[in-house]
Amino acid sequence: MVYQIKDLVKKFGDNVVLNHINLEIKENEKIVIIGPSGGGKSTFLRCLNLLEKPTSGQIIYHGQELTEKTYKAIQGKIGMVFQNFQLFDNMTVIENITLAPILNKIMSKDEAYKKARSYLKQIHLEDKEKSYPADLSGGQRQRVAIIRTLIMEPSVILFDEPTSALDPEMIGEVLSLMMEVSKQNITMIVVTHELKFAYDYSTRVLFMDQGKIVEDGDKESVFKHPKTERLKQFLDNMK
Amino acid sequence: MSDLVETFYKTFIYEDRYLYFLEGLKYTLIIAFFAILLGITLGVLVGVVRDYHKQTGRLWLLSKIADIYVYVIRGTPTLLQLMILYYVVFRTSSLSPVIVGILTFGINSGAYVAEIFRAGFEGIDKGQREACKSLGLNYFKTMRYVIFPQSLAKIFPALGNEMITLVKETSIAGYVGIVELIKAADIISSRTYDYFFPLIVSAIVYLCLTFILSKVMKFGERKLNHGLSN
Repeated sequence: MVYQIKDLVKKFGDNVVLNHINLEIKENEKIVIIGPSGGGKSTFLRCLNLLEKPTSGQIIYHGQELTEKTYKAIQGKIGMVFQNFQLFDNMTVIENITLAPILNKIMSKDEAYKKARSYLKQIHLEDKEKSYPADLSGGQRQRVAIIRTLIMEPSVILFDEPTSALDPEMIGEVLSLMMEVSKQNITMIVVTHELKFAYDYSTRVLFMDQGKIVEDGDKESVFKHPKTERLKQFLDNMK
Repeated sequence: MSDLVETFYKTFIYEDRYLYFLEGLKYTLIIAFFAILLGITLGVLVGVVRDYHKQTGRLWLLSKIADIYVYVIRGTPTLLQLMILYYVVFRTSSLSPVIVGILTFGINSGAYVAEIFRAGFEGIDKGQREACKSLGLNYFKTMRYVIFPQSLAKIFPALGNEMITLVKETSIAGYVGIVELIKAADIISSRTYDYFFPLIVSAIVYLCLTFILSKVMKFGERKLNHGLSN
């Protein structure tokens, strides 16, 4: 079991954003979370690596409750891909990718560079290793950001609307890299409005609305046989 | 015309009076240089302590002390700070006035530099810290490799301003008997009863100093902004 989420509540002031969520996530699941804006998807995702501190409830990761202290010990095993890439603008592409493995002494500098180069080759950006993020397109930046996460050999990657900030013609290249990643033994939890990834590669779809998980099932049942009126409406609106 | 030549001669040549200016320039440079170093060191330390507290909730006491330091320094005139340090704090010590000057201007500048860094740190997208956290980087690695370098590039112009202000502010060091540029000009004027040359020359020297400083900062800014053009 990767995650056991027990009675998770998150409030911002009086505003209840996550309302008593219970969920179990198994090894190697490819979960897509869909739902209307403001339904709590991103907040939920950000609780899973403590970017948001839960108001109450427990998040158990590989049998151990996630706290600031236990999270530190995990060192990058819960990767995250952000909507706005969050590459480090002061570093070149290869410095971005190798920073964490080198500083956390997971690899030697040579190893990290070697590995980063082989990743860059896979995504056809080997000639960009000395470029700065400012010189890359949005799609290229996001792919580098995904590589930066992969090099840490994460057990989980959280994707927070990874294609929302991209021009339409760049969404494809990011999605196809995500699909490559999904073939690996990595648990993926993806918040997205991009239903193509959900249709093609997800093993499980969650529909969140008003701070609750309203539907939870495989893509067949969620997309083809929605049980609730809210999900039906949501899917109609997405078409 | 011959009057002008005469005064010029009296001001600079007679009794080797130009040496006063050189002496004054020397102390202005010494005080400004070391005060800038002290100011930046203090400013970075105070800025990081306050940021560390803000991010982690730890070091409460130190961060409060830092707040008070910045508040007091910014709320009182530099001249008063100089006089308090010279006539009260170090009254009985044998510390040379130049050292007291360096301490005053350095401590004073540190508070402003700390505020500049605070603005710099706060100006960085919080997603950058989140990315660092998700990669397993702790506070100090995040600060050292991501937040600090990006902030530095952004605040460099403000830092340059602060240094220029400091260089000019050293002119009040004459109050505690340090012969810096303005004091040197004053000494010569009191002998020649002419203010024109000493004051104009002082002004030109200050202009040269701040011109060089701003050129150096411009150069540094260009270096730092490499890759940060967006």
